[in-house]
Amino acid sequence: MRFLVTFLHELGGLWLFFRDIARLSARNQKALRPLVMEQISQVAYRSMGTILFSGFFVGAILVIQFYLMLSKYDATSLLGGLSASATIREIGPLIISFLLAGKIGAYTAAEIGTMKVTEQIDAIRCLGTNPMEYLVVPRFLAIVVSSALLLFFGLLVGILGSVLVADSLYSVNALQFLESIPRFAGLWTLFGGLFKSLVYGTIVAAVSTFKGYTASGGAKGVGIAVTQCAVYTNLLITLANSFTSMMLDGFQGALSFFTGGHG
Amino acid sequence: MSIEFKDVRKAFSEKAVLDGVSFTVKSREILFILGKSGVGKSVTLKHVVGLLKPDAGEVHVDGVRVSSSDETVLAAVRRVCGMVFQHPALLDSLTVFENVAFGLRGTDIGPARIHERVIECLRLVHLDASILERKPIEISYGMQKRVSIARTLAPSPRYLLFDEPTTGLDPITTNAVNDLIHELSRSLGVTSVVVSHDMGSALRIADRILVLDEGTILALGDRREIRESHVPLIREFLSEVD
Repeated sequence: MRFLVTFLHELGGLWLFFRDIARLSARNQKALRPLVMEQISQVAYRSMGTILFSGFFVGAILVIQFYLMLSKYDATSLLGGLSASATIREIGPLIISFLLAGKIGAYTAAEIGTMKVTEQIDAIRCLGTNPMEYLVVPRFLAIVVSSALLLFFGLLVGILGSVLVADSLYSVNALQFLESIPRFAGLWTLFGGLFKSLVYGTIVAAVSTFKGYTASGGAKGVGIAVTQCAVYTNLLITLANSFTSMMLDGFQGALSFFTGGHG
Repeated sequence: MSIEFKDVRKAFSEKAVLDGVSFTVKSREILFILGKSGVGKSVTLKHVVGLLKPDAGEVHVDGVRVSSSDETVLAAVRRVCGMVFQHPALLDSLTVFENVAFGLRGTDIGPARIHERVIECLRLVHLDASILERKPIEISYGMQKRVSIARTLAPSPRYLLFDEPTTGLDPITTNAVNDLIHELSRSLGVTSVVVSHDMGSALRIADRILVLDEGTILALGDRREIRESHVPLIREFLSEVD
């Protein structure tokens, strides 16, 4: 019960914090641009290796799992389409956002939290700069934009991994594998993957900056902030996964209905 | 031109840290706020620049009521009140030059003048331009403290607020920092408020000393008055010096 009250209290604070970020993002965009670009390069530099490494194996693992099931029904010709669809729509955004939460979310919460407890944030404010505008907004926007970019590269490597495993382990022709992808993974699948990764990226960005910015109580306080950041991010991403999946399926159903089954 | 506290009250989790504190900082003086740890010395200082708001009472800087001002007014107050924090609080990712120039961002001062001003401020704290491109982690703690003072001086404030400036420093560096505060206050003609628990430093450079205890002002007077005080806590502080 206490955990639920704390969680709801944090959620309220997070919403107010997110509202401030949205307001400040719309203001003074010219000054924000170089700060955001610098942060995007930092986020991409820090996480690209991990994302590519994991993306490759996500693709490979899904092929192994799907092959085990499809081979029972002699339907291995569907292997490429089904594994790519699952990677783009579901597993890719989810795994990449969990990795982003662990790598960038924790780093951001620790970085901003340390600045908070060592009075660097107060110093910025005393020198006439709004720390939300200078520190939080650029990091927030960079994480959201990077999550979409990293998803793109992660998926490319994931599909490469799945092609290589399908070809080398199960002798599924690479061309046949790739040809089956458009049958299951069309524009709507791509949109779904991108939409989910942006939602999860927003969660990682909002929670990590919020927990860092509200950290207090020295090194211990920063440790608590980073731990809470990891817990809340994973919880919220899992919740958001259910909602976005239901929402996208419902929307796709409605679209099919109105377009006569061509959605 | 002054800083004024009128019956300021502030509590954290129902514990009163400031309980009706009233005093005025005179123009161009060095006022030391002295007291044991946790009696609200830093809290007092943070009220001046609006980092904390009082639960009751008023804080005025040059006639502006800081305690009820919005961020726009506070930004103007912070331009005339430079604050040096207990830790150097330099931005780790920036160089010494970028740190000192930070308060000049967004002003109409050109890059060449900013460069000159940064070097001027480093000279004021007895540092030279050889450290301009170094990151804070690449210089000693004592130097970081000096850089943080230079950063505070860059926008030419009228008031200098020092929060425990000598904490964590050896006796020699402590004296050097105290002399620096004295020298800056006199040569720049600024008003300085120094929060400390070090009676030795206070007796060395303060014009007046304010002693805080249990949320209230125990004593406020010049060095001679404090030296002659019979208040037990002040005698205890003095015995540490003698």
